[in-house]
Amino acid sequence: MTGYSSLTDAQLIRAAKRGDHEAFTALAKRYEETVYKFSIKMCHDKQKAAENLQDTFISVFRNLSSFVGKSKFSTWLYTIVTNNCLMKQRRRKLRDLEDPLEIYDEAPAHHGDRQRAPIARWEETPADLLVKKELRVALNAAIEKLPVEYRVVFVLRDVEGRSTEDTAKILNLSVEATKSRLRRARAFLRDKLQPYIGSHFERTT
Amino acid sequence: MNCKQVYRHICENLDENIHSARCRAIRKHLVSCPDCGAYLDSIKKTIALYKTIPTPKVPSAIHRKMLRVLTAEMARPVRQPARKQAHASR
Repeated sequence: MTGYSSLTDAQLIRAAKRGDHEAFTALAKRYEETVYKFSIKMCHDKQKAAENLQDTFISVFRNLSSFVGKSKFSTWLYTIVTNNCLMKQRRRKLRDLEDPLEIYDEAPAHHGDRQRAPIARWEETPADLLVKKELRVALNAAIEKLPVEYRVVFVLRDVEGRSTEDTAKILNLSVEATKSRLRRARAFLRDKLQPYIGSHFERTT
Repeated sequence: MNCKQVYRHICENLDENIHSARCRAIRKHLVSCPDCGAYLDSIKKTIALYKTIPTPKVPSAIHRKMLRVLTAEMARPVRQPARKQAHASR
């Protein structure tokens, strides 16, 4: 397979479409860490992540002819891996999943109420905080509690670093809906971590 | 811009569109409101924590299995028809 590693995604895809299986294998190797790590972040389960890795590249192989390069290959890949992740998780009806996080549309209790305690500062750096085992456990517990439709937005946008527009495209959502889910997800996770960092504050609702 | 408006937008946009009029208004508010400043900082640190958590690499056994499965798939004489979730024309 000498030389494949120096080819661009577009070159590998063109070669794979012509039936060059080694080119497709090189493409899969190039992105397997991305797909596996994203799956781990979404599923928190190594077995499911391994299945997702295989399913994703089989889907990519079977559907490669439909990829015409209108979007980046990585965006298309994330669309496939995300769909596979979501299919593996129990889907909730929209009305069931919107309610628990709607409270995060409201500002925390301090706003406009000077009788309440001010919001505690998170003085420590993330690196210092990660030394605490109980916080690492809390990080996993919090994101597992986050409904999957919110978790996927948070992981794509904030952890994987995709743009808001790209995240919306991957999930077939509007930019506004993506931002709304992201806002709620960030606030939800922040509140779940708060007891492990500083003094707790009450919410308005 | 008041605290409630700032809350909504600092959580939504963070560092995006930092030169927009709304972003300038948020920055102006943050200078004089320690609560909103503390909240924004904690949101940023929440994101940083999740970005920093180490994620395991693909175990070699999983890598080898993926290659075996892919090789078998590519050797199939007749491809299965693409499913509806095939993301056509991307």
